[in-house]
Amino acid sequence: MVKRSWRESGVAFALPWMVGMVTLTLVPMAVSLTLSFARWDGLGFDSIGWVGSAHYERLWPWSGGESVDPRAVRALTNTVAYSLFAVSLNLMAAMVLALLLNRRLRGMVVFRTVFFLPYLLSSVATVMMWSWLFNPRFGLVNRGLRVVCDFLAMWPGLDGFATIELPGWLYSEAGCMPTLVLMHVWLCGGPMLVFLAALQRVPMSLYEAAALDGAGRWRRFWHVTMPQLSPAVLFNLVIGLIFAMQTFDRAYLLYNRSQNDGLLFYMLYLYRIAFETPFRIGFASAMAWVLFVVIAVMVVPVLIVGRRVVFYAVRR
Amino acid sequence: MIGCGRRHTRAVYLLLTVIAIIALIPFVWSVSTSLKSLEDAYAFPPSLTVDDVRWSNYGDVFEKLPFGRFLLNSAVIALAAVTGAVVTSSMAGYALARLPMRGKRVWFVLLVASLMLPSQVLLIPHFLMYESLGWVGTYKPLIVPAWLGGGAFNVFLFRQYFRSIAMDVEEAAVLDGATRWQFYRFVLMPMAKPVVVAVAVLSLLYHWQAFLNPLLYLSDFRKYPVSLGLRMYQTMAGTWVNLLMAASLIAVVPMVIVFFVGFRVFDAGRRGD
Repeated sequence: MVKRSWRESGVAFALPWMVGMVTLTLVPMAVSLTLSFARWDGLGFDSIGWVGSAHYERLWPWSGGESVDPRAVRALTNTVAYSLFAVSLNLMAAMVLALLLNRRLRGMVVFRTVFFLPYLLSSVATVMMWSWLFNPRFGLVNRGLRVVCDFLAMWPGLDGFATIELPGWLYSEAGCMPTLVLMHVWLCGGPMLVFLAALQRVPMSLYEAAALDGAGRWRRFWHVTMPQLSPAVLFNLVIGLIFAMQTFDRAYLLYNRSQNDGLLFYMLYLYRIAFETPFRIGFASAMAWVLFVVIAVMVVPVLIVGRRVVFYAVRR
Repeated sequence: MIGCGRRHTRAVYLLLTVIAIIALIPFVWSVSTSLKSLEDAYAFPPSLTVDDVRWSNYGDVFEKLPFGRFLLNSAVIALAAVTGAVVTSSMAGYALARLPMRGKRVWFVLLVASLMLPSQVLLIPHFLMYESLGWVGTYKPLIVPAWLGGGAFNVFLFRQYFRSIAMDVEEAAVLDGATRWQFYRFVLMPMAKPVVVAVAVLSLLYHWQAFLNPLLYLSDFRKYPVSLGLRMYQTMAGTWVNLLMAASLIAVVPMVIVFFVGFRVFDAGRRGD
């Protein structure tokens, strides 16, 4: 091989990324891990004090005693519950829509655009629209429900509907999570496009062969469509879970207004610990690593099961 | 699909229409509110129809707050970051896919590992670093990282695509006297157009919608991007909910345009090969 100058080497091309890998990933990881064993307000290096694993013990609900931070535990359970419900319902909606859209009919592009549109809104716009739509007093949803209730109350025996109390949605502690899950279902346009792209790659010959073998609609779905779709399911599930566990924008925007602990998401609590007085940088760093472990515990089994179940057209 | 009878087709249309109407309700309600006067928006009971249509609200959005400035700020940040992401992630993808490099395996393992690392682990160290560099209050924390690799996922996408291009293309170009930079710039990147468009559009959307980083690093509201600027219709002297809805609708328009153009180029690029 001809001897090439340094400028032609792989390192020259990869250099910006390598610099980023070291300065923006590896070094910060080491810093964050170190800080998680320290108490620090971030205001000067002489105020750092080592606390060993104390921060981690505060996040371990079974360590006993008053050392456990109940709000951090609440934030974690909120976030895990939200992620499981929101991601699974979001993926189901995405798949149903993709299956409905995957046919050569007129107007499918219009429907695709409509279902994808919410995905393009920024989180601030989404939250603003939804909290206005679900505003208990001035929102359209409760207005509609009130009309329905008033109608029902006109019938004998149903007059209880006239005085029924309507849900507070995002403004109540019990209602905010279900409303946020519903909002996440509304935002299923991204995964829908991934499913649609996967569906459009399924070879027609497979369906024809299955039909010749006498397979009905359901068997064609389970034995042809689902295996072909499984890589997309795995991808959407893993990406969806990782992102849902890091939910911040929605929680921050809504919490600031209502101080409603039903909206206490883990990333929101971490942000408040780290960037609001008294800045507890060490505890927040430990929280970040705990979240990393929790996400890994959720995602790695999915990947292991996925490796066995998912069908790849080309085996590597 | 096989066996789509006419009745079946009609049922599908009906179902899709019903879902589409439900999916559009938040938009319809926002449009309705954006055309009302503030008193009408807070009227009780609320109504979907608008008696006194105020198109001027869409002008007031730009009058009450520097919303044009917010849009411009977002465009500057997003374009600067997206350019960096496309350039540096494609370069790294090229190196990892096809170039001899010392320790390539280790770097590749690092790439895959960083794909899985959630960003919140890095949030605090990044903040401390940018603060000590004096970058807080500037756009640098939002733009510079994009020029240093532009996201593991993008590097990975480019690497996968570049690996699928036959080696003899490169050998022919080198025989003709092309340097690797010329090959990358004039052969590889044009071939990778669908990937370039996908990476560009997705990272544009990411930077346009970004909320946490601007919130952390910007304090002067004249530097705010759209995502932060929208909030100001709510926090200053009560809520101008009609203007808030109008501004939210305006803010999504650029992304709708980008996605439409992106889809076209992407589809054309895929059909091309």
